[in-house]
Amino acid sequence: MSRSLAALPLSSLPRWFPLARKEARTVLTSKGTWLLAVFVFVFGWRPTYSGWELLGPSMSAGFVQVGVTTLVPLGVLVLSYGSVVGERTSGSLKFALGLPLTRTDVLVAKTVGRTAGFVLPVTVAAVLLGVVGAFRYGLFSPLAFLGVLLATSLYLAVLVAIATAVSAVTTSTVRASGAVVGYFLAFVLLWSQLAVAAYSSLTGRAVNPYDPPADALLFGLLRLSPDRAYRTVTNWILGAGNAGESFTILAIKLAPGQSVNGYAVETAFAGASVPLSLHEVGGVVVLLAWLVVPLWLARYRFERGDLA
Amino acid sequence: MTTPAIDTDGLTKRYGSTVALDGLDLAVESGEVYGFLGPNGAGKSTTINLLLNYVRPTDGSATVLGLDPWDDVVALHDRVGILPDRYDTYDGLSARRHLRLVIDTKRSDDDPEALLTRVGLTDAADRPGSSPRGWNNGSRSRWLSSATPTC
Repeated sequence: MSRSLAALPLSSLPRWFPLARKEARTVLTSKGTWLLAVFVFVFGWRPTYSGWELLGPSMSAGFVQVGVTTLVPLGVLVLSYGSVVGERTSGSLKFALGLPLTRTDVLVAKTVGRTAGFVLPVTVAAVLLGVVGAFRYGLFSPLAFLGVLLATSLYLAVLVAIATAVSAVTTSTVRASGAVVGYFLAFVLLWSQLAVAAYSSLTGRAVNPYDPPADALLFGLLRLSPDRAYRTVTNWILGAGNAGESFTILAIKLAPGQSVNGYAVETAFAGASVPLSLHEVGGVVVLLAWLVVPLWLARYRFERGDLA
Repeated sequence: MTTPAIDTDGLTKRYGSTVALDGLDLAVESGEVYGFLGPNGAGKSTTINLLLNYVRPTDGSATVLGLDPWDDVVALHDRVGILPDRYDTYDGLSARRHLRLVIDTKRSDDDPEALLTRVGLTDAADRPGSSPRGWNNGSRSRWLSSATPTC
Protein backbone atom coordinates (compact mmCIF):
# COMPACT_ATOMS: atom_id res chain seq x y z
CA MET A 1 0.00 0.00 0.00
CA SER A 2 2.59 2.53 1.06
CA ARG A 3 4.95 1.26 -1.64
CA SER A 4 2.95 2.52 -4.59
CA LEU A 5 2.15 5.76 -2.83
CA ALA A 6 5.75 6.31 -1.85
CA ALA A 7 6.39 7.46 -5.40
CA LEU A 8 4.08 10.41 -4.89
CA PRO A 9 5.60 13.48 -3.27
CA LEU A 10 4.04 13.98 0.15
CA SER A 11 3.26 17.59 -0.61
CA SER A 12 0.65 16.41 -3.12
CA LEU A 13 -1.08 14.34 -0.45
CA PRO A 14 -3.19 15.72 2.40
CA ARG A 15 -1.41 16.60 5.62
CA TRP A 16 -3.19 13.81 7.46
CA PHE A 17 -2.03 11.11 5.06
CA PRO A 18 0.98 9.87 7.10
CA LEU A 19 -1.19 9.56 10.21
CA ALA A 20 -3.90 7.74 8.22
CA ARG A 21 -1.23 5.35 6.93
CA LYS A 22 -0.10 4.70 10.49
CA GLU A 23 -3.71 4.02 11.56
CA ALA A 24 -4.24 1.62 8.65
CA ARG A 25 -1.09 -0.25 9.65
CA THR A 26 -2.27 -0.44 13.27
CA VAL A 27 -5.56 -2.02 12.20
CA LEU A 28 -3.93 -4.36 9.69
CA THR A 29 -1.42 -5.67 12.22
CA SER A 30 -4.11 -6.41 14.79
CA LYS A 31 -5.12 -10.06 15.17
CA GLY A 32 -8.74 -9.05 15.79
CA THR A 33 -9.06 -7.60 12.31
CA TRP A 34 -8.00 -10.83 10.63
CA LEU A 35 -10.16 -12.88 12.96
CA LEU A 36 -13.04 -10.72 11.77
CA ALA A 37 -12.14 -11.57 8.17
CA VAL A 38 -12.24 -15.28 9.04
CA PHE A 39 -15.71 -14.77 10.54
CA VAL A 40 -16.87 -13.02 7.35
CA PHE A 41 -16.02 -16.16 5.42
CA VAL A 42 -17.31 -18.69 7.97
CA PHE A 43 -20.62 -16.95 8.71
CA GLY A 44 -21.06 -15.75 5.14
CA TRP A 45 -21.12 -19.17 3.54
CA ARG A 46 -24.88 -19.77 3.65
CA PRO A 47 -26.07 -21.73 0.63
CA THR A 48 -29.83 -22.31 0.77
CA TYR A 49 -32.26 -23.78 -1.77
CA SER A 50 -34.46 -20.69 -1.64
CA GLY A 51 -31.40 -18.45 -2.00
CA TRP A 52 -30.41 -20.40 -5.09
CA GLU A 53 -33.98 -20.18 -6.46
CA LEU A 54 -33.93 -16.40 -6.01
CA LEU A 55 -30.42 -15.50 -7.14
CA GLY A 56 -28.84 -18.45 -8.95
CA PRO A 57 -25.06 -18.14 -9.11
CA SER A 58 -25.25 -14.58 -7.69
CA MET A 59 -25.99 -16.27 -4.36
CA SER A 60 -22.21 -16.29 -3.87
CA ALA A 61 -22.18 -12.48 -3.87
CA GLY A 62 -25.04 -12.64 -1.37
CA PHE A 63 -22.77 -14.61 0.98
CA VAL A 64 -20.74 -11.41 1.40
CA GLN A 65 -23.83 -9.57 2.62
CA VAL A 66 -24.57 -12.26 5.22
CA GLY A 67 -20.93 -12.47 6.35
CA VAL A 68 -20.62 -8.71 6.72
CA THR A 69 -23.83 -8.28 8.71
CA THR A 70 -23.17 -11.10 11.19
CA LEU A 71 -20.17 -10.09 13.29
CA VAL A 72 -18.55 -7.21 11.43
CA PRO A 73 -20.59 -4.36 12.97
CA LEU A 74 -19.79 -5.42 16.52
CA GLY A 75 -16.20 -6.27 15.59
CA VAL A 76 -15.43 -2.93 13.95
CA LEU A 77 -17.07 -1.01 16.80
CA VAL A 78 -15.20 -2.97 19.47
CA LEU A 79 -11.89 -2.58 17.65
CA SER A 80 -12.42 1.15 17.09
CA TYR A 81 -14.27 2.73 20.01
CA GLY A 82 -11.00 3.49 21.81
CA SER A 83 -9.17 4.98 18.84
CA VAL A 84 -9.35 8.57 20.08
CA VAL A 85 -10.36 8.33 23.74
CA GLY A 86 -7.71 5.69 24.35
CA GLU A 87 -5.07 8.06 23.01
CA ARG A 88 -6.48 10.83 25.12
CA THR A 89 -6.17 8.65 28.24
CA SER A 90 -2.67 7.41 27.45
CA GLY A 91 -1.35 10.75 26.26
CA SER A 92 -0.41 9.73 22.73
CA LEU A 93 -3.05 12.15 21.45
CA LYS A 94 -0.62 14.89 22.51
CA PHE A 95 1.92 13.33 20.20
CA ALA A 96 -0.51 13.37 17.26
CA LEU A 97 -1.75 16.89 18.01
CA GLY A 98 1.82 18.14 18.34
CA LEU A 99 2.12 17.45 14.63
CA PRO A 100 1.09 20.14 12.14
CA LEU A 101 -2.49 18.87 11.96
CA THR A 102 -5.82 20.35 12.93
CA ARG A 103 -7.98 18.30 15.25
CA THR A 104 -10.30 17.66 12.33
CA ASP A 105 -7.31 16.30 10.38
CA VAL A 106 -6.77 13.81 13.20
CA LEU A 107 -10.39 12.62 13.02
CA VAL A 108 -10.22 12.33 9.24
CA ALA A 109 -6.93 10.41 9.44
CA LYS A 110 -8.42 8.04 12.02
CA THR A 111 -11.52 7.41 9.92
CA VAL A 112 -9.83 7.06 6.54
CA GLY A 113 -6.87 5.04 7.82
CA ARG A 114 -8.89 2.65 9.95
CA THR A 115 -11.46 2.18 7.19
CA ALA A 116 -8.68 1.18 4.81
CA GLY A 117 -7.39 -1.18 7.50
CA PHE A 118 -10.74 -2.98 7.71
CA VAL A 119 -11.61 -2.86 3.99
CA LEU A 120 -8.55 -4.88 2.97
CA PRO A 121 -9.09 -8.00 5.17
CA VAL A 122 -12.86 -7.98 4.65
CA THR A 123 -12.37 -7.71 0.89
CA VAL A 124 -9.96 -10.65 0.99
CA ALA A 125 -12.62 -12.72 2.80
CA ALA A 126 -15.32 -11.53 0.39
CA VAL A 127 -13.25 -12.39 -2.69
CA LEU A 128 -12.60 -15.85 -1.21
CA LEU A 129 -16.36 -16.32 -0.73
CA GLY A 130 -16.85 -15.24 -4.34
CA VAL A 131 -14.13 -17.51 -5.73
CA VAL A 132 -15.20 -20.60 -3.77
CA GLY A 133 -18.83 -19.80 -4.58
CA ALA A 134 -18.06 -19.44 -8.28
CA PHE A 135 -16.44 -22.90 -8.32
CA ARG A 136 -19.34 -24.45 -6.47
CA TYR A 137 -22.37 -22.60 -7.91
CA GLY A 138 -21.13 -21.11 -11.16
CA LEU A 139 -20.11 -17.73 -12.48
CA PHE A 140 -21.95 -14.58 -11.49
CA SER A 141 -21.84 -11.00 -12.67
CA PRO A 142 -18.46 -9.56 -11.66
CA LEU A 143 -19.98 -6.10 -11.86
CA ALA A 144 -22.62 -6.94 -9.24
CA PHE A 145 -19.91 -8.49 -7.08
CA LEU A 146 -17.85 -5.32 -7.36
CA GLY A 147 -20.96 -3.33 -6.42
CA VAL A 148 -21.37 -5.45 -3.27
CA LEU A 149 -17.69 -4.87 -2.42
CA LEU A 150 -18.14 -1.10 -2.82
CA ALA A 151 -21.29 -1.08 -0.69
CA THR A 152 -19.40 -3.15 1.91
CA SER A 153 -16.55 -0.62 1.96
CA LEU A 154 -19.05 2.18 2.47
CA TYR A 155 -20.67 0.28 5.35
CA LEU A 156 -17.26 -0.33 6.95
CA ALA A 157 -16.50 3.39 6.62
CA VAL A 158 -19.82 4.18 8.33
CA LEU A 159 -19.03 1.84 11.25
CA VAL A 160 -15.55 3.32 11.66
CA ALA A 161 -16.96 6.86 11.44
CA ILE A 162 -19.53 6.13 14.16
CA ALA A 163 -16.91 4.58 16.46
CA THR A 164 -14.49 7.46 15.81
CA ALA A 165 -17.19 10.06 16.47
CA VAL A 166 -18.11 8.37 19.75
CA SER A 167 -14.46 8.06 20.67
CA ALA A 168 -13.80 11.74 19.98
CA VAL A 169 -16.56 13.10 22.21
CA THR A 170 -16.24 10.77 25.20
CA THR A 171 -13.80 11.26 28.06
CA SER A 172 -13.37 7.67 29.20
CA THR A 173 -13.04 4.36 27.40
CA VAL A 174 -15.81 2.93 29.59
CA ARG A 175 -18.27 5.54 28.36
CA ALA A 176 -17.14 5.08 24.77
CA SER A 177 -17.67 1.32 24.98
CA GLY A 178 -21.09 1.89 26.53
CA ALA A 179 -22.03 4.19 23.67
CA VAL A 180 -21.02 1.76 20.93
CA VAL A 181 -22.80 -1.10 22.69
CA GLY A 182 -25.87 1.15 22.85
CA TYR A 183 -25.57 1.82 19.14
CA PHE A 184 -25.22 -1.90 18.46
CA LEU A 185 -28.31 -2.80 20.49
CA ALA A 186 -30.49 -0.03 19.05
CA PHE A 187 -29.41 0.09 15.43
CA VAL A 188 -28.25 -3.44 14.74
CA LEU A 189 -30.01 -5.92 17.04
CA LEU A 190 -33.31 -4.21 17.80
CA TRP A 191 -33.82 -1.72 14.99
CA SER A 192 -36.76 -3.43 13.28
CA GLN A 193 -38.62 -3.68 16.60
CA LEU A 194 -37.80 -0.05 17.43
CA ALA A 195 -38.83 1.18 13.98
CA VAL A 196 -42.11 -0.74 14.22
CA ALA A 197 -42.74 0.62 17.73
CA ALA A 198 -42.07 4.15 16.48
CA TYR A 199 -44.41 3.58 13.54
CA SER A 200 -47.17 2.22 15.77
CA SER A 201 -46.93 5.09 18.22
CA LEU A 202 -46.97 7.62 15.37
CA THR A 203 -49.89 6.13 13.46
CA GLY A 204 -51.69 4.08 16.09
CA ARG A 205 -51.60 1.06 13.78
CA ALA A 206 -50.34 -2.33 14.89
CA VAL A 207 -47.91 -4.13 12.60
CA ASN A 208 -48.02 -7.82 11.85
CA PRO A 209 -44.46 -8.68 10.80
CA TYR A 210 -45.77 -11.56 8.67
CA ASP A 211 -48.00 -9.22 6.75
CA PRO A 212 -46.89 -5.59 7.24
CA PRO A 213 -49.00 -2.73 5.88
CA ALA A 214 -48.07 -1.09 2.56
CA ASP A 215 -46.95 2.14 4.17
CA ALA A 216 -43.94 4.18 3.02
CA LEU A 217 -43.47 5.52 6.55
CA LEU A 218 -42.99 2.07 8.03
CA PHE A 219 -40.56 0.93 5.35
CA GLY A 220 -38.79 4.29 5.44
CA LEU A 221 -38.22 4.04 9.20
CA LEU A 222 -37.01 0.47 8.87
CA ARG A 223 -34.17 1.37 6.52
CA LEU A 224 -32.82 4.26 8.58
CA SER A 225 -30.34 2.02 10.39
CA PRO A 226 -26.98 1.55 8.65
CA ASP A 227 -27.38 -2.21 8.97
CA ARG A 228 -30.69 -2.39 7.13
CA ALA A 229 -29.61 0.34 4.69
CA TYR A 230 -26.58 -1.79 3.76
CA ARG A 231 -28.80 -4.83 3.18
CA THR A 232 -31.24 -2.73 1.15
CA VAL A 233 -28.41 -1.55 -1.11
CA THR A 234 -26.82 -4.99 -1.51
CA ASN A 235 -30.19 -6.70 -2.14
CA TRP A 236 -30.75 -4.09 -4.85
CA ILE A 237 -27.35 -4.76 -6.44
CA LEU A 238 -27.97 -8.53 -6.27
CA GLY A 239 -31.45 -8.16 -7.74
CA ALA A 240 -32.85 -9.95 -4.69
CA GLY A 241 -35.58 -7.45 -3.90
CA ASN A 242 -36.37 -4.22 -2.12
CA ALA A 243 -35.85 -4.98 1.58
CA GLY A 244 -33.55 -4.49 4.55
CA GLU A 245 -33.63 -8.21 5.37
CA SER A 246 -30.77 -10.54 4.57
CA PHE A 247 -31.12 -12.13 1.13
CA THR A 248 -31.68 -15.56 2.73
CA ILE A 249 -34.76 -14.29 4.63
CA LEU A 250 -35.88 -12.33 1.59
CA ALA A 251 -35.65 -15.47 -0.54
CA ILE A 252 -38.14 -17.25 1.74
CA LYS A 253 -40.37 -14.19 2.04
CA LEU A 254 -40.63 -13.79 -1.73
CA ALA A 255 -41.09 -17.48 -2.53
CA PRO A 256 -44.72 -18.26 -3.40
CA GLY A 257 -46.73 -19.88 -0.64
CA GLN A 258 -44.09 -19.15 2.02
CA SER A 259 -44.50 -17.00 5.08
CA VAL A 260 -41.81 -15.61 7.34
CA ASN A 261 -41.59 -12.51 9.48
CA GLY A 262 -39.75 -9.81 7.61
CA TYR A 263 -40.32 -6.62 5.71
CA ALA A 264 -40.17 -6.75 1.91
CA VAL A 265 -41.58 -3.95 -0.22
CA GLU A 266 -42.58 -6.41 -2.96
CA THR A 267 -44.93 -8.45 -0.78
CA ALA A 268 -46.35 -5.50 1.18
CA PHE A 269 -47.03 -3.42 -1.91
CA ALA A 270 -48.10 -6.36 -4.09
CA GLY A 271 -50.38 -4.97 -6.78
CA ALA A 272 -49.92 -1.35 -5.65
CA SER A 273 -47.36 1.14 -6.94
CA VAL A 274 -44.27 1.58 -4.78
CA PRO A 275 -43.62 5.18 -3.66
CA LEU A 276 -40.44 6.73 -5.03
CA SER A 277 -39.20 7.34 -1.47
CA LEU A 278 -38.74 3.59 -1.08
CA HIS A 279 -36.33 3.31 -4.01
CA GLU A 280 -33.32 1.23 -2.95
CA VAL A 281 -30.95 4.09 -3.67
CA GLY A 282 -32.32 5.62 -0.47
CA GLY A 283 -30.13 3.07 1.33
CA VAL A 284 -27.04 4.75 -0.14
CA VAL A 285 -28.31 8.13 1.09
CA VAL A 286 -28.85 6.70 4.59
CA LEU A 287 -25.32 5.27 4.65
CA LEU A 288 -23.79 8.54 3.44
CA ALA A 289 -25.71 10.44 6.12
CA TRP A 290 -24.40 8.09 8.81
CA LEU A 291 -20.90 8.54 7.43
CA VAL A 292 -21.00 12.32 7.61
CA VAL A 293 -23.39 13.47 10.35
CA PRO A 294 -21.96 11.78 13.50
CA LEU A 295 -18.41 12.73 12.51
CA TRP A 296 -19.43 16.28 11.73
CA LEU A 297 -21.13 16.64 15.12
CA ALA A 298 -18.14 15.05 16.85
CA ARG A 299 -15.77 17.35 15.01
CA TYR A 300 -17.67 20.35 16.29
CA ARG A 301 -17.09 19.29 19.89
CA PHE A 302 -13.63 17.85 19.38
CA GLU A 303 -12.31 21.07 17.81
CA ARG A 304 -13.50 23.15 20.75
CA GLY A 305 -12.81 20.85 23.69
CA ASP A 306 -9.86 20.44 26.03
CA LEU A 307 -7.70 17.44 25.26
CA ALA A 308 -5.17 17.53 28.03
CA MET B 1 10.07 46.04 17.25
CA THR B 2 9.69 42.44 16.05
CA THR B 3 6.76 40.24 16.98
CA PRO B 4 7.36 38.49 20.30
CA ALA B 5 7.90 34.73 20.08
CA ILE B 6 5.16 34.26 22.66
CA ASP B 7 2.57 36.88 23.46
CA THR B 8 -0.41 36.37 25.73
CA ASP B 9 -3.06 38.88 26.61
CA GLY B 10 -5.30 38.26 29.61
CA LEU B 11 -5.02 34.52 29.00
CA THR B 12 -7.48 32.75 31.31
CA LYS B 13 -8.51 29.16 31.84
CA ARG B 14 -11.25 28.05 34.19
CA TYR B 15 -12.44 24.51 34.80
CA GLY B 16 -15.88 25.03 36.26
CA SER B 17 -15.24 27.15 39.33
CA THR B 18 -11.54 26.27 39.46
CA VAL B 19 -9.30 28.96 38.02
CA ALA B 20 -6.26 27.33 36.45
CA LEU B 21 -4.85 30.45 34.87
CA ASP B 22 -5.96 34.00 35.64
CA GLY B 23 -5.37 36.76 33.11
CA LEU B 24 -1.78 36.04 32.12
CA ASP B 25 0.01 38.81 30.21
CA LEU B 26 3.32 37.48 29.01
CA ALA B 27 5.70 38.48 26.25
CA VAL B 28 8.74 36.40 25.37
CA GLU B 29 10.90 38.11 22.79
CA SER B 30 12.41 36.31 19.85
CA GLY B 31 15.83 34.95 20.77
CA GLU B 32 15.17 35.30 24.47
CA VAL B 33 15.87 32.31 26.73
CA TYR B 34 12.97 32.21 29.12
CA GLY B 35 12.76 30.11 32.29
CA PHE B 36 9.16 29.36 33.13
CA LEU B 37 9.18 28.59 36.85
CA GLY B 38 6.53 28.53 39.54
CA PRO B 39 5.06 26.47 42.38
CA ASN B 40 2.64 23.62 41.81
CA GLY B 41 -0.70 24.87 40.61
CA ALA B 42 0.68 28.17 39.34
CA GLY B 43 -0.63 27.42 35.85
CA LYS B 44 2.61 26.55 34.04
CA SER B 45 1.27 23.42 32.36
CA THR B 46 -2.04 25.11 31.62
CA THR B 47 -0.21 27.95 29.87
CA ILE B 48 1.86 25.58 27.77
CA ASN B 49 -1.22 23.47 26.95
CA LEU B 50 -3.00 26.63 25.82
CA LEU B 51 -0.06 27.66 23.64
CA LEU B 52 0.05 24.18 22.09
CA ASN B 53 -3.70 24.07 21.38
CA TYR B 54 -4.24 21.09 23.71
CA VAL B 55 -6.60 23.23 25.76
CA ARG B 56 -8.86 26.09 24.68
CA PRO B 57 -8.85 29.36 26.65
CA THR B 58 -11.88 30.54 28.62
CA ASP B 59 -10.84 34.13 28.01
CA GLY B 60 -8.02 36.20 26.59
CA SER B 61 -5.77 35.38 23.67
CA ALA B 62 -2.30 34.17 22.79
CA THR B 63 0.00 34.13 19.80
CA VAL B 64 3.12 32.11 19.15
CA LEU B 65 5.44 33.48 16.44
CA GLY B 66 2.57 35.82 15.64
CA LEU B 67 0.28 32.86 14.91
CA ASP B 68 -2.92 31.78 16.66
CA PRO B 69 -2.51 28.41 18.43
CA TRP B 70 -5.93 27.25 17.17
CA ASP B 71 -6.56 28.94 13.82
CA ASP B 72 -2.98 28.57 12.57
CA VAL B 73 -2.17 25.24 14.19
CA VAL B 74 -0.75 23.70 11.02
CA ALA B 75 1.55 26.60 10.17
CA LEU B 76 2.61 26.95 13.79
CA HIS B 77 3.30 23.29 14.51
CA ASP B 78 5.28 23.17 11.28
CA ARG B 79 7.68 25.68 12.81
CA VAL B 80 7.95 24.64 16.44
CA GLY B 81 9.24 21.52 18.11
CA ILE B 82 6.98 20.04 20.76
CA LEU B 83 8.01 17.73 23.56
CA PRO B 84 4.78 17.54 25.56
CA ASP B 85 4.33 16.97 29.24
CA ARG B 86 2.80 13.59 30.21
CA TYR B 87 2.61 12.31 26.65
CA ASP B 88 2.83 8.77 25.38
CA THR B 89 4.05 7.13 22.21
CA TYR B 90 2.21 4.51 20.18
CA ASP B 91 2.34 0.98 21.47
CA GLY B 92 3.83 -1.43 18.97
CA LEU B 93 5.18 1.30 16.70
CA SER B 94 8.96 1.40 16.44
CA ALA B 95 11.02 4.52 17.03
CA ARG B 96 11.84 4.61 13.34
CA ARG B 97 8.15 4.60 12.38
CA HIS B 98 7.39 7.32 14.91
CA LEU B 99 10.09 9.46 13.33
CA ARG B 100 8.81 8.65 9.86
CA LEU B 101 5.35 9.85 10.93
CA VAL B 102 6.71 13.15 12.25
CA ILE B 103 9.01 13.72 9.27
CA ASP B 104 6.33 12.93 6.68
CA THR B 105 3.65 15.01 8.40
CA LYS B 106 6.06 17.95 8.64
CA ARG B 107 7.06 17.35 5.00
CA SER B 108 10.70 17.53 5.88
CA ASP B 109 13.35 15.46 4.16
CA ASP B 110 15.16 14.34 7.31
CA ASP B 111 16.39 10.79 7.56
CA PRO B 112 15.24 8.86 10.67
CA GLU B 113 18.60 7.09 10.69
CA ALA B 114 20.57 10.32 10.83
CA LEU B 115 18.36 11.77 13.55
CA LEU B 116 18.72 8.67 15.72
CA THR B 117 22.48 8.60 15.18
CA ARG B 118 22.66 12.21 16.30
CA VAL B 119 21.13 11.31 19.67
CA GLY B 120 22.96 8.00 19.93
CA LEU B 121 19.93 5.71 19.78
CA THR B 122 20.58 3.83 16.55
CA ASP B 123 20.62 0.41 18.23
CA ALA B 124 17.25 0.84 19.86
CA ALA B 125 15.61 1.82 16.59
CA ASP B 126 16.94 -1.25 14.86
CA ARG B 127 15.64 -3.68 17.41
CA PRO B 128 12.62 -5.28 15.75
CA GLY B 129 9.33 -4.25 17.27
CA SER B 130 11.01 -1.85 19.65
CA SER B 131 8.59 0.80 20.80
CA PRO B 132 9.73 3.93 22.61
CA ARG B 133 7.01 3.02 25.12
CA GLY B 134 9.42 0.59 26.77
CA TRP B 135 12.27 3.05 27.00
CA ASN B 136 13.20 5.07 30.02
CA ASN B 137 12.15 8.70 30.07
CA GLY B 138 15.57 10.06 29.23
CA SER B 139 15.95 7.96 26.10
CA ARG B 140 12.43 8.73 25.05
CA SER B 141 12.87 12.44 25.36
CA ARG B 142 16.22 12.27 23.63
CA TRP B 143 14.60 10.35 20.83
CA LEU B 144 11.59 12.60 20.39
CA SER B 145 13.65 15.76 20.61
CA SER B 146 15.72 14.44 17.70
CA ALA B 147 12.61 14.86 15.58
CA THR B 148 11.60 18.25 16.89
CA PRO B 149 14.04 20.82 15.57
CA THR B 150 12.81 24.26 16.44
CA CYS B 151 12.63 26.94 13.79
